[in-house]
Amino acid sequence: MSAQAYLKGKEIENPVEVHHHVAPVSLYVIILMALFGLTGLTYAVSFANLGPLSLPVAMAVAALKASLVVAFFMHLKDDDRYNLFVFLGTLIFIGIFFGFTLFDMQARDALNDEQRTFVRAEDERNAGNSPAVGISNDPARLAAWEAKHGSHDEGAEGEHAEGAEGEHAEGDKAEGEH
Amino acid sequence: MSDSTHAAHTDGEHNPYVAHHFDNMGQQAGAAKLGMWLFLATELLMFSGLFLAYFICRMWYPDMVLGAHEYLSKTAGGINTCVLLFSSWTMAMAVRSAQVGKPGSKEDAAKIKKYLLLTLLCAGVFLVVKYFEYSAKFEHGMLPGKFYTAHLHGYEIEGLPHIFFGIYFIMTGLHGVHVLVGMGIMIWIYLRASRGEFSHQNYAGVENTGLYWHLVDLVWIFLFPLLYLVK
Repeated sequence: MSAQAYLKGKEIENPVEVHHHVAPVSLYVIILMALFGLTGLTYAVSFANLGPLSLPVAMAVAALKASLVVAFFMHLKDDDRYNLFVFLGTLIFIGIFFGFTLFDMQARDALNDEQRTFVRAEDERNAGNSPAVGISNDPARLAAWEAKHGSHDEGAEGEHAEGAEGEHAEGDKAEGEH
Repeated sequence: MSDSTHAAHTDGEHNPYVAHHFDNMGQQAGAAKLGMWLFLATELLMFSGLFLAYFICRMWYPDMVLGAHEYLSKTAGGINTCVLLFSSWTMAMAVRSAQVGKPGSKEDAAKIKKYLLLTLLCAGVFLVVKYFEYSAKFEHGMLPGKFYTAHLHGYEIEGLPHIFFGIYFIMTGLHGVHVLVGMGIMIWIYLRASRGEFSHQNYAGVENTGLYWHLVDLVWIFLFPLLYLVK
């Protein structure tokens, strides 16, 4: 084995020897006591009415407990770093998974309302002159549609008076062309 | 029992547990452990999907989650948390006993076996407590989806409790399956320890079992406050 290897940033002479680290029993006992203590804390906190703070506090305590378990019981503190890399890499991907999904779940309704995504399509359909759903959200396609059929707002009243059925068919045709 | 015993510097000395395709035990154990960590990564990703389901449910129906969680037993959850934490300690001690064990020593093997038995015992206690919790839920009809009949048993829970209990049963159920699997692995490792296989020369099997068991503990560390203690 002539390849160089590094452990915690330092070059090691014999890259394939065992790098194990035996922690003293006292350390394991201290960690166990700390875990019990933190469990008691989470339990106590759940009875204190912290309002919106209670979830972040409970999660922070749980994260602290989890890092104690991972660092000492699972030896990541003194282990080869590639295992830590695998673990932290997993956490990053879980973060992406949670972050994007929760953001989408939380913001989608507000975005739909703000952009009137469904409301406008509904209005148009009710008015009987609907460009098919989707056209009204795309400025370029909307402009093309308007160039063919005249501007929305002007047309709306007249078309309305003429009756919804025919206009709707025209809208469908326009959809087909695009 | 010094702070850092490098007991396994066995270069030069023949280690019968090294497979022919590895240079030495360091490389072999490192490869085994990396494989275990990659498996644990997939486990974390699997559980993260369930945690996400919980958070979305909580985000959309906060009052329902608050109302339904009152029916989970904080005492049972708390006892199980302590049992699992203690079992994590006994598991860590089993791994440590293997790390410092002398090859062929009956006493050292007995130490590993003692801590494995304690861990198994804790896992058993955990499942017994879970059994009582589950039977209470079954009795009160607090079940997932279409099986939910708590309203017929006189419990009026606001909102969509059948969804909360769906999340509760899937999360704790999958966790419980992991406890069962862990017990099976520990019995296997116990038998191998009885044959005197584990010592400072060879302890990757015990250590990987430990990693798996600590992951089970890790998941519960988050399950407990989220399901039982939410406010």
